[in-house]
Amino acid sequence: MTFKDTAKNIVDVGDGAAIPTKSDRGLFTAWRIAFVGAIAALAFLAWHKPDPYFNIIKFVPDGIVVTFKVTVGAILLALVIGLVTGLGRISSNRLFNGAASLYVEVIRGIPLLVQIFYIYYALGRFVKIPDLLSAIIAMAVCYGAYMGEVIRAGIQSIPKGQMEAALSLGMTRGQAMLHVILPQAFKVVLPPVGNEFIALLKDSSLVSILAVADLLRRGREFASESFTYFETYTVIALIYLIITLFFSKLIGIMEERINADS
Amino acid sequence: MKMMKTFIALLTVTVLMAGSAFAAGKKIVVATDATWPPMEMVDKDKKIVGFDIDFMNEVAKAAGFTVEFKNTAWDGIFAGVEAGQYDAIISSVTITEERQKKYDFSMPYIDAGQILIVPKAEKGAKLADLKGKKIGAQIGTTGAMEIKKVKDVELKTYDEVGLAFEDMAAGRIGGVVCDEPTAIIYALQKGEYRDKFKIVGKPFTKEAYGIVVKKGNKELVDLLNKGIKAVKAKKADAAIKKKWLK
Repeated sequence: MTFKDTAKNIVDVGDGAAIPTKSDRGLFTAWRIAFVGAIAALAFLAWHKPDPYFNIIKFVPDGIVVTFKVTVGAILLALVIGLVTGLGRISSNRLFNGAASLYVEVIRGIPLLVQIFYIYYALGRFVKIPDLLSAIIAMAVCYGAYMGEVIRAGIQSIPKGQMEAALSLGMTRGQAMLHVILPQAFKVVLPPVGNEFIALLKDSSLVSILAVADLLRRGREFASESFTYFETYTVIALIYLIITLFFSKLIGIMEERINADS
Repeated sequence: MKMMKTFIALLTVTVLMAGSAFAAGKKIVVATDATWPPMEMVDKDKKIVGFDIDFMNEVAKAAGFTVEFKNTAWDGIFAGVEAGQYDAIISSVTITEERQKKYDFSMPYIDAGQILIVPKAEKGAKLADLKGKKIGAQIGTTGAMEIKKVKDVELKTYDEVGLAFEDMAAGRIGGVVCDEPTAIIYALQKGEYRDKFKIVGKPFTKEAYGIVVKKGNKELVDLLNKGIKAVKAKKADAAIKKKWLK
């Protein structure tokens, strides 16, 4: 499989979020409308009907913190797992390659929700790990497989000549990978990793099933005692929307900078 | 045009008939969260069974209607009755003031209370002794509300009470609060938990369960109360109690 510059033009739809760039006017405008609209809607609801809307907004901030903790912790751990897996997938060592491929196949074949349940309660059987860390590990193991594929594609997108040139300069394969290939691949994988980050941020709501007090869990707790289901989930949805739109914009800017550099 | 009129007329008749079928007391759809043994649970044959199920069937027999049970997750079970997805809820629902503001209840049909379950090594004898610990309960239950009232104890809410017990077995939380009959099942009867957990003290709340219906559905409340009174009058509930609650 070869990755050339034209690969960008192949259908490129991630599960994260639509990344708005200036070149796509329609999406750019849609982003503005959605972002400003969501904030305005939230502010209006809180001002117009403080009970229950403002009460909900007051109730959930620590849940947002937990959502971020899970997302950031899981993405960092997933990057490490993904790097090892990605290198394994292109390794000529059959054992390393086989193990990495098996991991990717198994993980991709099981629904995320099932994996989270399984890893969380399986971990609990053997080791004493606090709940938040268990949730982070569960998410990272799931996303590590996807991240591995992103990193593999990134490494393979670097022309073969780079490796050959490095080897002819007297570098070992390891040195060439570390000093020549990975720094270049890093630039290539940044946008898809950003996309995975947003996908993970959204999927982190699944850890609420593990009684981790994230944004969704806090919302559910509020709703189940005040019976304001419609109002609560309206607020929760708007908050998620604002957060993901914010990050998709950030990633869009990052992507433009990288493109401008090269 | 004519056809359209006929169609609308037919539709209206159908809707009216559907409405009157309920008024005639033919079939009532009742939601229950079958994760709360021995009150309501799913047995080996995937059938919903338990005290509440048997009791509801007795009430139906006495009041002259049939029941269709619908297994529904607790989190959101109240929203369903409000949205009209089912007519009533029988699911160990404690009658509380807050709930009465939003929903109507039948008369109480059984008394209950919250109780604390802890790991065997725990020395504390009540919730207030478990300072700094995380205590689990099912989301939106009276147990969860009781934990919230206690200072310096952190509430952790689960979708099902069984998940809370599993987390306690894994050492992630220091206690669980739930209704006494359910506590007995998990702490004293379930094989692997029996050696790990113990129940401390007596139930520390006085509660009564009622059947929930949508606010303003007086017709159904009257029907249910008529059934409950009849069941209690002929002491049919005693046999059900003996069967499920030891």
